[in-house]
Amino acid sequence: MSQEVNLHEHAGAMTTHEVHHDEHHGHHHKETFITKYVFSQDHKMIAKQFLITGIVWAIIGGLFSVLFRLQLGFPNETFPWLENILGKWAAGGKIHPEFYYALTTMHGTVLVFFVLTAGLSGTFSNFLIPLQVGARDMASPFMNMLSYWFFFVASIVMISSLFVQTGPASGGWTVYPPLSALGDASEGSKIGMDLWLIAMALFVVNSLLGSLNYISTILNMRTKGMSMTRMPLTIWALFFTAVLGVLSFPVLLSGFILLLFDRHAGTSFYLSDIFLASTQKALPNEGGSAILYQHLFWFLGHPEVYIIILPTMGLVSDVMSANARKPIFGYMAMVGSMFAIAVLAFLVWAHHMFVTGLNPFLGAFFVLLTLLIAVPSAIKVFNWITTLWRGNLRFTPGMLFSIGFVSLFISGGLTGIFLGNSTLDIHLHDTYFVIAHFHIVMGVSAFFGMFAGLYHWFPKMYGRYMNNTMAYIHFWITLVGAYLIFWPMHYQGLAGVPRRYLDFSGWTSFNQFDGLNRFISIVTMMVFAVQLLFVFNFFYSIFKGRKVRTQNPWGATTLEWTTPINPGHGNWEGEIPEVHRWAYDYGKDGRDFIPQTEPISASESPESKH
Amino acid sequence: MAQAVPAEQKWWSGGKSPFNVEYGKLMMWYFLMSDAFTFGAFLISYGTIRFATNSWPDPNEVFQSFPGLGNGLPLMFVSLMTFILIISSVTMVLAVQAGHAMDKKSVVRNLVLTIIGGIAFLSCQAWEWAHLHHEGAWWGSNPFLNIDGTKATTNFTNFFFTITGFHGFHVFSGVVINIIMLIMTLNNVFERKGHYLMIEKAGLYWHFVDLVWVFVFTVFYLV
Amino acid sequence: MHQDDNTEITFHHEYDREASKKEVIKITVILSVITLVELALGFWMYLSHGNLGSFMITLIKGVILILMLAKAFYIVAYFMHLKHELKNMIMTIVVPLLLFVWFIIAFLYEGNSYKNLKNTYDPYHKEQSEIKVEKKEQGSKEHDPQAH
Repeated sequence: MSQEVNLHEHAGAMTTHEVHHDEHHGHHHKETFITKYVFSQDHKMIAKQFLITGIVWAIIGGLFSVLFRLQLGFPNETFPWLENILGKWAAGGKIHPEFYYALTTMHGTVLVFFVLTAGLSGTFSNFLIPLQVGARDMASPFMNMLSYWFFFVASIVMISSLFVQTGPASGGWTVYPPLSALGDASEGSKIGMDLWLIAMALFVVNSLLGSLNYISTILNMRTKGMSMTRMPLTIWALFFTAVLGVLSFPVLLSGFILLLFDRHAGTSFYLSDIFLASTQKALPNEGGSAILYQHLFWFLGHPEVYIIILPTMGLVSDVMSANARKPIFGYMAMVGSMFAIAVLAFLVWAHHMFVTGLNPFLGAFFVLLTLLIAVPSAIKVFNWITTLWRGNLRFTPGMLFSIGFVSLFISGGLTGIFLGNSTLDIHLHDTYFVIAHFHIVMGVSAFFGMFAGLYHWFPKMYGRYMNNTMAYIHFWITLVGAYLIFWPMHYQGLAGVPRRYLDFSGWTSFNQFDGLNRFISIVTMMVFAVQLLFVFNFFYSIFKGRKVRTQNPWGATTLEWTTPINPGHGNWEGEIPEVHRWAYDYGKDGRDFIPQTEPISASESPESKH
Repeated sequence: MAQAVPAEQKWWSGGKSPFNVEYGKLMMWYFLMSDAFTFGAFLISYGTIRFATNSWPDPNEVFQSFPGLGNGLPLMFVSLMTFILIISSVTMVLAVQAGHAMDKKSVVRNLVLTIIGGIAFLSCQAWEWAHLHHEGAWWGSNPFLNIDGTKATTNFTNFFFTITGFHGFHVFSGVVINIIMLIMTLNNVFERKGHYLMIEKAGLYWHFVDLVWVFVFTVFYLV
Repeated sequence: MHQDDNTEITFHHEYDREASKKEVIKITVILSVITLVELALGFWMYLSHGNLGSFMITLIKGVILILMLAKAFYIVAYFMHLKHELKNMIMTIVVPLLLFVWFIIAFLYEGNSYKNLKNTYDPYHKEQSEIKVEKKEQGSKEHDPQAH
């Protein structure tokens, strides 16, 4: 390569952005309803689209859990009104067993993918990346728009699967073959399963388009002075999340394509030695391996849990630091541990398969690698706690949810150490212990991180505050409720209560849990009701919330608070500000906070070591 | 405006691309990485099933025909396909280089050659598929015996058609992309823009297709 | 005002077209030679008609796989021009590919173990997979996978 390089602004890159900015900066330009709210290319609007779609999905997915908790808590009672809503799926007011499986399957699918992946990282990646790195928009706003619309179509296909005659997919959210591969095996393995696979394939496209955009925006579009180590931890977290998505979702897609061939082309990638009870026939398919599917699925499936939790780790770090009025403790350790988590995410997938027929010797390596995750996780937890230590805490709703996140992450993370051991897993697999573990550590805590982010950045999104009273009610009932729901499940699991069962009345040994099950179900309904309160608060505040009067209501250092209260497309009215320091100069030199845009003055104490 | 850069360039300090490439190229690279994992997953699945099976058909027995020359010629036809793809990759590189030199005529010539190469490859593949199908091979049906004379499962053909099909689909989309590039070149789109960077990205995609074929060729036909 | 706002600043690479052309020719020759060597090895295995020991076969296959990686390297490094990018960019592409190492080891080990377990615990399967089919049914169009 020639050493002689010239400064040269690629005209191509320039034209696209130039056109784009002229379009949106000139205030004379008129936007129609369609270009502003529907096919918008503004990252902030796309973020809101992801968020609101995610909220709709969360209500649907949450409602599913209320329905099956109704069955689990009150197995001997009938609810005639259920038949009015659900028809044959609740004939006689009792939930049909097939439908029970459909409910649990769709609850998992919806919450994991549509809410906590697209709804969470779709919202915050889109909203915060350009604002916090100092860019007018994503690298490719058009692809960003496509990403949302692929998600939208995936949502439509998934929803439509709820209304087909044979019902939606019902083989569990992991859709293991042979159950999912054979239409004759169950009602849910018929057309519902095909729609499920199509929706997920579209979802993979959405994730890919989004992630490529996030990565290239973070790498290429940072404003002057915003070196990688000056980025807020949120951006680092979203960056690793996008990398995980780019590398792991395609493997899932391959696995699904092979599954589709098994379903429709007579292949036997995953099928061997099968006798089907429903048709009384031995299948000709030979030579496949069901374990192969599990490997392919979990090669995504495990990174997926980090795709869910990493963004919230970033959000929580920033919300916490801003509300403790202290620099985040151990910035580089935080980045390093997120990197370690991202790497380990790809090395541990088979710990989901310890008892499915995985070679036990291979399992031993997966145990070792799995337990290694405890190290970066612990580093992060200690750093959060140390950030709070002797801080000047402001208990805003965002802050409360951040602290709740850390609490839940610790409680749920500890049981991960149990489950990471293949020997203990012989007893604990497929019990309520597993349910308790993953709901606390990646379900509820991811929601807490998401709520923290929403309460904190709502003023930036809509120029209004959310109602605090409702927010506090939301926080306390959700926190206490989450523990009341999931804590007892550990004891059930240790006692051997299996998951995915409709009715435990056949076991006298589990009768002792009847009261507990009822209790859990009642708390579930209360917690669900409080989430509806949050949704009400959210939409109410968009229109009627208290208006934001200052540019920087939380006194935060990061770039998004240097934009106008209601930023237009392009974010900053004048030039994009230059960055001179890291994002955590709180309480430095006796000053409450110093924004990232302020140059380092001569009298200032040396830049914090981070 | 050309301007000399300071000798010590701080690539990561923000305000510029740390890799000195525009975002489109970056996206293309990372998309290709992602696609590498798609193909990787397919090929690794193929390997897993092959390791899980007691015996496997001999590719030299399966792929032994050449159009017009008859049977008993293992490896011949696939060598032809491999060379077609390598040569089309070379013409693609030449098109990209011509683009850097703003040499429109050469870009057009090399793009046309690349497209012809792509279509030739697809035609070869179509012939091979048709021939195998004629012999009774398809998804879920495998007429070939294992190398040790025992009866084979259908997974040899299952994987063959799935993976070469997925690769062929990539070749096809590559040809479509190249045709679009050709039309844009002929319409002077890149001349007006002042650069041919789009062709560079299309080139990356095309080479990736060639790259995947290196792996498919090896694991299906050679080992 | 937008001049330095959101445009990506990159530095122009000066190309020496002649040198690049020479490089392309060199790489084309290398790729062709490697392919020819691979084919020669393939023919060697084919023409030996099983006279080579299983160790020799494994060795040849190993060599072919290494040559495959060499070809991949040349395509990525020169045709895709990665070798001429900045080192950091090369790292962001090469390092994630290391994930394939554990990906491949774990999957193939698993496949092998699946075979062994099945042969051990399903004697019928092993017996069936050792029955040689008398006559080759080459070219039979109506093939029913169930027929046995």
